[in-house]
Amino acid sequence: MPGLPDNPNMRPGVGRRAAIGALATSLLAAGLWPRRARSREAIPEGRVIVDYWEKWTGPEGEAVQGIVDRFNTAQDRIWVRRLAVSDIMSKAMVAIGGGDPPDIVGLYSYNIPQFAESGAIISPEDLATPTARLAPESYAPAVHRLLSHEGRQWAGVNTCYSLALYYNRSLFREAGLDPDRPPATIDELDAAADRLAVRTAGGRIARAGFLPNLPAWWPYFWPIMFGGRLYDPDAHRAEVAGPAGVAAYEWVASYPRRLGASATAEFGNIYNRSFHSPQDPFISGRVGMIVQGPWIANFIRLYAPEFDYGCTPVPTPEAMVDPDRPVGMLEADVLVIPRGARHPEAAFEFLCFTQRPDVQEQLATEHAKSSPMRSVSAGFAGDHPNRCVDVHDRIVKSPRVQILPQTRVWQQYADSMIGAFDAIWAGADVHRTLAAAQSRAQQLIDQSRQRRLQRAARSGRGAPA
Amino acid sequence: MTTGPARSLLTGLAWISPWLVGVALFTAVPAAMSLYYSLTDYTLLEGPVYIGLDNYRELGGDRLFGIAVRNTLVFAITASLSATVLSVLLAVLLEQRLRGAGLVRAIVFLPTLVPVVSACVCWLWLYNAQFGLFNSVLAAAGIDGPDWLGRRDLALPSLVFMSLWIIGSPLLVCSAALKDVPAALYEAADLDGISRLGRLRHVTLPMISPAILFNAIMSIIWSLQVFAPPQIMTGGGPENSTLVYSMYVYWNAFIYGRMGYASAMAWIQMLVALGLAGGVLGLSRRVIHYRAA
Repeated sequence: MPGLPDNPNMRPGVGRRAAIGALATSLLAAGLWPRRARSREAIPEGRVIVDYWEKWTGPEGEAVQGIVDRFNTAQDRIWVRRLAVSDIMSKAMVAIGGGDPPDIVGLYSYNIPQFAESGAIISPEDLATPTARLAPESYAPAVHRLLSHEGRQWAGVNTCYSLALYYNRSLFREAGLDPDRPPATIDELDAAADRLAVRTAGGRIARAGFLPNLPAWWPYFWPIMFGGRLYDPDAHRAEVAGPAGVAAYEWVASYPRRLGASATAEFGNIYNRSFHSPQDPFISGRVGMIVQGPWIANFIRLYAPEFDYGCTPVPTPEAMVDPDRPVGMLEADVLVIPRGARHPEAAFEFLCFTQRPDVQEQLATEHAKSSPMRSVSAGFAGDHPNRCVDVHDRIVKSPRVQILPQTRVWQQYADSMIGAFDAIWAGADVHRTLAAAQSRAQQLIDQSRQRRLQRAARSGRGAPA
Repeated sequence: MTTGPARSLLTGLAWISPWLVGVALFTAVPAAMSLYYSLTDYTLLEGPVYIGLDNYRELGGDRLFGIAVRNTLVFAITASLSATVLSVLLAVLLEQRLRGAGLVRAIVFLPTLVPVVSACVCWLWLYNAQFGLFNSVLAAAGIDGPDWLGRRDLALPSLVFMSLWIIGSPLLVCSAALKDVPAALYEAADLDGISRLGRLRHVTLPMISPAILFNAIMSIIWSLQVFAPPQIMTGGGPENSTLVYSMYVYWNAFIYGRMGYASAMAWIQMLVALGLAGGVLGLSRRVIHYRAA
């Protein structure tokens, strides 16, 4: 095979210009190369650095940074370095699986079963010392259930939230409703929704009184408000298609039937992406009543400080109404110490600091939430930015409050409910749709348990409960 | 001591070794590992446990998998067909020595430079049922515009339409191919009295057919992997009508912690992409005109 002909204009080796260019680039790169990490410049010498991943940004991130700063100045051995991380569950999963996790991570309480069953997090009980331990009795009972899985506590709490019905008092007055007497039953909710609704001449919804698809974040919420539950933890059974679930979604389906499936879906689609902005449908007066978490108060303060709102436990069928023991759903943000953390003891010390009632009250106040602790200080409610904190507090401490199913396939179960909710909204048969969603959830639950048993058998561990 | 061709080969390999190492480390090894993971129960948080073909068997009974396959195939066929046809038509139009053709070409290419997430957010507003540009234009004409992304019959077609936003790259490929068509062929066609449409059919299209084939294959591969627009704009809804394959792979891998199952899906996706591309290549032998060197 003949070689390439020699090019007489081609000089052997690297040209002078190229060599000078490469040298200049190398010198520039060397000059710009960081001598030390910028973030470490402010860290005092000799401290153990605890890397803390947290999901919050903006004002919520600043609030948690306030707690970190408080801890960093309160002692001189540990320095907590917070990093705001989006999509935190996925990134924590990859980091832990890859063997390079941070020292402490802010997850969601529904992540605990998955991480605990996989041995991916260290129980605070294993890190407790005679002088430092978490006190289960200091939490509201439902919050402690959220932090625990199969009899062990796996996390510390980092605020909690319950859902409540927020309503626009000005619109109530305008529609001839009593703003001091918000709806307590499903029938009252429907009646108030009808009074508040306004349509355009073309039949579009100009203002909704209330829509169960707005926001579309908790499509699995309604069975709880009708006295049902999503999961039986003892029998490991999905229960969304039970009688309460069917009743709940029959009621949900009554809204598109009454107001038009396409008009209500369109209204939901327009505003489901506007939450927590000046175009938020509740804050901008496009919807009179909405199911929301306590954080809405912070966005009202930010975008419409004069907005006149009220809040009440989410209505239930009349037979279930009990103002002192409201029904509701509870969720929490949690702090966990990953397997493979470089400084688990130091992370545990920070965790213990965050679980002090005064620290949780500070964070809860800045997030406009109720405290996750069993008791609060005398001035907590008085100084609180959410005028409805007492409503959320009652739900958190109610014996009838429910937590999300503690199964590692909950995320898939929840996602399947999005499709089921959409289908029901579009007119699909409630029984059949819920039965299909429950059947898929059960299949996933059974498979997950079976694989866990297989893993336990392979590793020689005992069978899980 | 090596001499001649062997030495040339070694020198060549040495020069491309960064690429070879990169491909081996970041493509070949991960691909081989994913093939193994597809045969395991791998949650990311725990080590993989071999389960044979269970993941592949489970796919058969997974309703969402079926929906994702159907949606992706519909998207891939309609998006790649539309992009290929439209890019040819636009390229031919822009070759007509019209005033401002260069500017139009630049404008058509510009969207390919816009980050996909920003483009998706813009398109969300364009499609907004109450405040969007499309429905405002329709309203001006007295038509009540639909909820483009909220209706299950319109959401996927709306995403297909949006995919034409980045038609600039195939258009450039076609434009370059058109410039390469010998003028003598058109002159001969003129002498034979062939109409403009006939010139397009008998001269232009055969001569640029390799470029069309290239565009078609790239478009099929891209549309089989579509992810960001449905993930950002519809989240797979309404009623899973825009749930596409890559989204479901991502959900399983990084949200549900089922990396083994996701790996099985990814391998099926690759085989389907290879099969479709191979099929198009096979069919093309009859219709693609390659000029002699």
